[in-house]
Amino acid sequence: MEYAYTKGRIEIKKELLKLDEFVLSFVKILDTAKIKYVIVSGYVGIFFGRSRNTEDIDILIERCSKEKFIEFWTLAGTEFECMNSTDRENAYKDYLEQNSALRFHLKGSFIPNMELKFIKNEIDRFTLENRIEIVLNRMRTLFFSPLEMQVAYKLYLGSEKDLEDARFIYKLFSVNIDHTLLKEMLSVLKVPKPIINYLGGKDEKAV
Amino acid sequence: MKKPFDVDLKELAKDKKRNLRERLEFIDAYVEWLKKTPNDVWSRQQKSTIE
Repeated sequence: MEYAYTKGRIEIKKELLKLDEFVLSFVKILDTAKIKYVIVSGYVGIFFGRSRNTEDIDILIERCSKEKFIEFWTLAGTEFECMNSTDRENAYKDYLEQNSALRFHLKGSFIPNMELKFIKNEIDRFTLENRIEIVLNRMRTLFFSPLEMQVAYKLYLGSEKDLEDARFIYKLFSVNIDHTLLKEMLSVLKVPKPIINYLGGKDEKAV
Repeated sequence: MKKPFDVDLKELAKDKKRNLRERLEFIDAYVEWLKKTPNDVWSRQQKSTIE
């Protein structure tokens, strides 16, 4: 795998999955509406080669104004449909403002979904503020959760799939990950040592 | 009520743990392969596998 890593930025060239095209079309609309976002889900691993698929891509956005959201909603409406609501006011007030997710899919396809949420706590805020820029095939840009957060949060979630995703990112980017920051995040999230061991790192007992 | 089958739950739990360990070992091997494989090769293979 060839990629160029600098702090906060990864440049990579690869063949696009249909899932990548789907995500790129959605984030393009967020960019046009000037809504700051970060992708936080297992899609990050899939983007970098993990051999699995997914039904939903989790995306956090800034707590934007209703006017900004309505601009996004109008732009999105040409390609996407919202599964939970057909009314933009209801979508904003009864979902986003209540910290519930809005699910968007392409018109005519039920899956995959973009699962859109407002940031709601300090972890989300940190993730958005420290998002990393991904430059794809020299011309497309999207933003992912910091690698350390991607690993730490997946361990915190702790399902078998999450543990596998965490290990994949950890092993693939072991030379780029800030191990001190990762350790601090794991401590804040109170991830137990036996779970951290699932990373199979140099200092950890491999499972 | 008649049980549909007998199962040793301790044995089943051991199997589950072993399966996870084997999948994690697969991930390690796969990551090593990804690291040394050109992007056009791994991304084409990934596309044909998951699409």
